[in-house]
Amino acid sequence: MTAGPVITPTDDRPTSLWKDAWRRLRRNRLAVAGLAILMLLIFVAAFGPWLTPYDFLSQNLDARNLPPSLAHPFGTDDLGRDVLSRVIYGARTAFLVAVLVTAVALFIGVVLGAIAGFYGGRFDKALMWVTDMTMSVPQLLLVVVINASLKQPITLWMEARYMETMNPIYRNSAIIDFVLVFGSMALISWPPYARLVRAQVLSIRNRPYVTAARALGLTNRIILMRYILPNAVGPLIVAVSAGLGTAMVLESAFSFLGIGVNPPTPSWGNMISDGLRVWTNYPHLLLAPAAVLAIVTVAFNFLGDGLNDALNPKGQK
Amino acid sequence: MTALLDINGLTIDIDRDSGPARVVDGIDLSILEGESLGIVGESGCGKSLTMLSLVGLLPNRIRATGGTAHFAGRELLRLSPAELRKIRGAQIGFIFQDPMTSLNPVMRIGDQIAEALIYQTGLDKPAAMAKAGDLLELVGIPSPRERLMAYPHELSGGMRQRVMIAIGLAGSPRLLIADEPTTALDVTIQAQIVDLVRDLKDRLGMSVVWITHDLALIAGLADRIAVLYAGTVVEDAPVDLIFERPTHPYTRGLLASLPTLTDRPMSRLPSIGGTPPEPGRRPAGCPFAPRCTLAVAACQTEVPRLRPVAGSDPRHRAACFVTAKEGAAA
Repeated sequence: MTAGPVITPTDDRPTSLWKDAWRRLRRNRLAVAGLAILMLLIFVAAFGPWLTPYDFLSQNLDARNLPPSLAHPFGTDDLGRDVLSRVIYGARTAFLVAVLVTAVALFIGVVLGAIAGFYGGRFDKALMWVTDMTMSVPQLLLVVVINASLKQPITLWMEARYMETMNPIYRNSAIIDFVLVFGSMALISWPPYARLVRAQVLSIRNRPYVTAARALGLTNRIILMRYILPNAVGPLIVAVSAGLGTAMVLESAFSFLGIGVNPPTPSWGNMISDGLRVWTNYPHLLLAPAAVLAIVTVAFNFLGDGLNDALNPKGQK
Repeated sequence: MTALLDINGLTIDIDRDSGPARVVDGIDLSILEGESLGIVGESGCGKSLTMLSLVGLLPNRIRATGGTAHFAGRELLRLSPAELRKIRGAQIGFIFQDPMTSLNPVMRIGDQIAEALIYQTGLDKPAAMAKAGDLLELVGIPSPRERLMAYPHELSGGMRQRVMIAIGLAGSPRLLIADEPTTALDVTIQAQIVDLVRDLKDRLGMSVVWITHDLALIAGLADRIAVLYAGTVVEDAPVDLIFERPTHPYTRGLLASLPTLTDRPMSRLPSIGGTPPEPGRRPAGCPFAPRCTLAVAACQTEVPRLRPVAGSDPRHRAACFVTAKEGAAA
């Protein structure tokens, strides 16, 4: 046996792709600011009920349309409800929807994209055809159509089930909003993920380490799950961070138009919609949810850009 | 000794839109149990494709279209993809060219070796990790147990190639195919890897096929050398005879182009004029004839077959009308 070469001492601190990326991300101030804002938002959304000074539903008709004050930092609305509490509860709605829509879309996109990219051939052609078709459906139109056609029958059916079973779950109209509207949103948001994953898989499946894994006799499933997909995660993270932001804005947009989350469940979108009607007299009712939505959107964009630079350092100038 | 692998008349075609183009044209090769065979030839001569075709790893649109390849009593070219998968790694191990990119960057090397072990031998995870440590020790990696937790980018090129070798050995294959495993490494590291593989071959009693374009490198490793040109074997001989009495003009050209210590400084190295034929545009006769200074009329029309070189060892064969019957060394 030959004497092995002297070990070249690696860095004191072994670095991995993720540590490198984290270091690069930390150097990007805007991305850090975006991350901090989003962390705060997640915290607020998670612990909302324990943070809100008032219940988001409780009305106080003696204290209607109050301007911001110490007792009500964002003021109160036309039914005397605390706007801060409603904005915080709106964060829950926004986050729940964003995560739900993105998770479902991501799952569909990764599965279809990976299969299309890995197996190629007819699978690929068929799946990409479905992807293109789905992509051509206007989201807004689809949600409106679903709302107009499916919502009422389902509401009636739920009402009937409630009469039969007296199970309060069938009285919860929020469930219909979430499942129907945002389910349909998820079902048409997956194509970008499918395309991204497919492109990644196509480029990774010909890398030497994949050939090496094949030469070991590993099964396609192991090669896909352990050798190809983990190496496709970088660009996917960037896409997910952008996707979360988009879904959040979409939720607000749909709720603003009255086809998303409906009152009394607070959503930034339906709060903006309500505030718009009276903004000349009570600007804080419009300003509070709109400002929060704007800040969060910007935060997502900063974080997405930062992640993109951190995870794809070669793309930097 | 019996032949572990016996390739006969193997042909490989590339499916082009314009029709199939032949890249490997009737290769005959055999390798004995415990033997090490060097396959030498320039880029594109079909050396890697020949070996990849055995285990069903040919890239898209490239197919083995004819011939046979018997390995340990089975006909590899007729096996289903699932049967071939079981041969890969367990019976025939591979080491690839570029250790920098042949390891999965997001998996610890211990996990990568263990994966192969779990799959090939059915060990459980702790046992596989222990065995992975043994393998790293076997391939000469210092503090092997600690290295199990390292990611590929934390190791040098030579270390990574040792890891690749450890992975290649995980299934205890009877045949190890090394596809230019030292091309990406420094010269000093190359020598270490060659020594390591030779040592492992002797210890584990496996056969080794070493693919390279570097004749000098495998002189010390191979028992026998097969010289490939344009998808055919042009000369096949025990290693000493390749160097002592190279017979095919192409082999002679390769050897003449090696620098020696006695070359005048700054003098030009001899080279073989011309380029190899493109796939799909093979000459009618000997594929080397257009570049050959010794070509006669027969070379243009008839393809020479491998035949024993007159007056040499019976294992020394060359495919040349002119030199193989000369009987005299060049």
